[in-house]
Amino acid sequence: MAFVDYYQILGLDKNADEKAIKNAYRKLARKYHPDLNPNDKEAQKKFQELNEANEVLSDPEKRKKYDKYGKDWQHSEEFERARQARSQAGGQEGQWSGGGNEGFSDFFESMFGSGFGGGRQVRFRGQDYQAEIHLGLRDAYETHKQTLTVNGKNIRITVPAGVENGQTIKIAGHGGPGSNGGPNGDLYITFSVGTDEKLRRSGNDLHLKTDLDLYTAVLGGELVVETLSGKVKLPIKPETQNGSVVRLKGKGFPVYKQDGKFGDLYVTFDVKIPTNLTDRQKELFTELSKS
Amino acid sequence: MENDQLIAIEVFCANYDVEYAFVESLQEHDLIETVIVGNTRFLQVPHLGRIERIIRFHRELDINLEGIEAIQGLLSRIEHLDMEIASLRNRLRFYEPGL
Repeated sequence: MAFVDYYQILGLDKNADEKAIKNAYRKLARKYHPDLNPNDKEAQKKFQELNEANEVLSDPEKRKKYDKYGKDWQHSEEFERARQARSQAGGQEGQWSGGGNEGFSDFFESMFGSGFGGGRQVRFRGQDYQAEIHLGLRDAYETHKQTLTVNGKNIRITVPAGVENGQTIKIAGHGGPGSNGGPNGDLYITFSVGTDEKLRRSGNDLHLKTDLDLYTAVLGGELVVETLSGKVKLPIKPETQNGSVVRLKGKGFPVYKQDGKFGDLYVTFDVKIPTNLTDRQKELFTELSKS
Repeated sequence: MENDQLIAIEVFCANYDVEYAFVESLQEHDLIETVIVGNTRFLQVPHLGRIERIIRFHRELDINLEGIEAIQGLLSRIEHLDMEIASLRNRLRFYEPGL
């Protein structure tokens, strides 16, 4: 466990007075406050450090103890006693153990015990948790249940069909516990939806590029294409051009939270020119070119 | 009357240790919405997170209501821009699937 230099965290020297500590904390807190830096884990960590530094340096008793034993805490009897009494805290040496606003470094907990002292008994909502779920494009096609573990708890959620890459949903009440009887925070889940080798998604529409042989393109016929809802037989008009696109209505991606509604599937034809022609075939093509 | 979605302002003030006048001033600055049922004024529970954020700005950072109003506006813009970036990223991914 490493020593934490609270003066350095607040950018102060050891003789800083109460006013200077307050000013330094306010200034840095405005910069790193998690409410002003949403989804910024670095800022959140920094804010935690600031809070801890302020908690110690703005309290004359704690500051005195810190100044006295701070750097040499390993030799302090008090520290030894605290360490024995301390419940087994996780985390690596010298690092902040918690992920939320209420986390303290192992160093702090060893010297002062856990938690802020003397605070107001205000009921506050618990911390909001963030989680990420990775899905394949085909997984996002159908509504399904998924279990995820957040802070040691298993939560079973329904992933609605049609979720977008980067979309966030809120699961109310599954965040951190409230303080002093306050309500729980919320759980925010962000979906990371992967891409597919064959299908490309654009909102609720899907795009598919498929090979079409020259003869079917010229003379017309049928082509079987694989969609996410199964195989579809597609009539091909005679004289279909390379790169032309047909739309299959309702064969695209499900529209989020609109049961039974789907986007469209756009199929682009990639007309393939035959290779390794026989002499007879070359002859016929030559004849055709002269007709 | 109180249900799962509403919390009386008096109850809110007692739990969060804030003055009734403070909640009124938040409403005057259009920072929160209140609902009147009978003779009682309520806050909406789904808005609690936002209201707590305002209280934190005020208490922890010493920001006055005008400042909070400006911050809320900027945070909404950031949220909107984040959504727009996500949507543009998805469109870009259509052309460059590796992204």
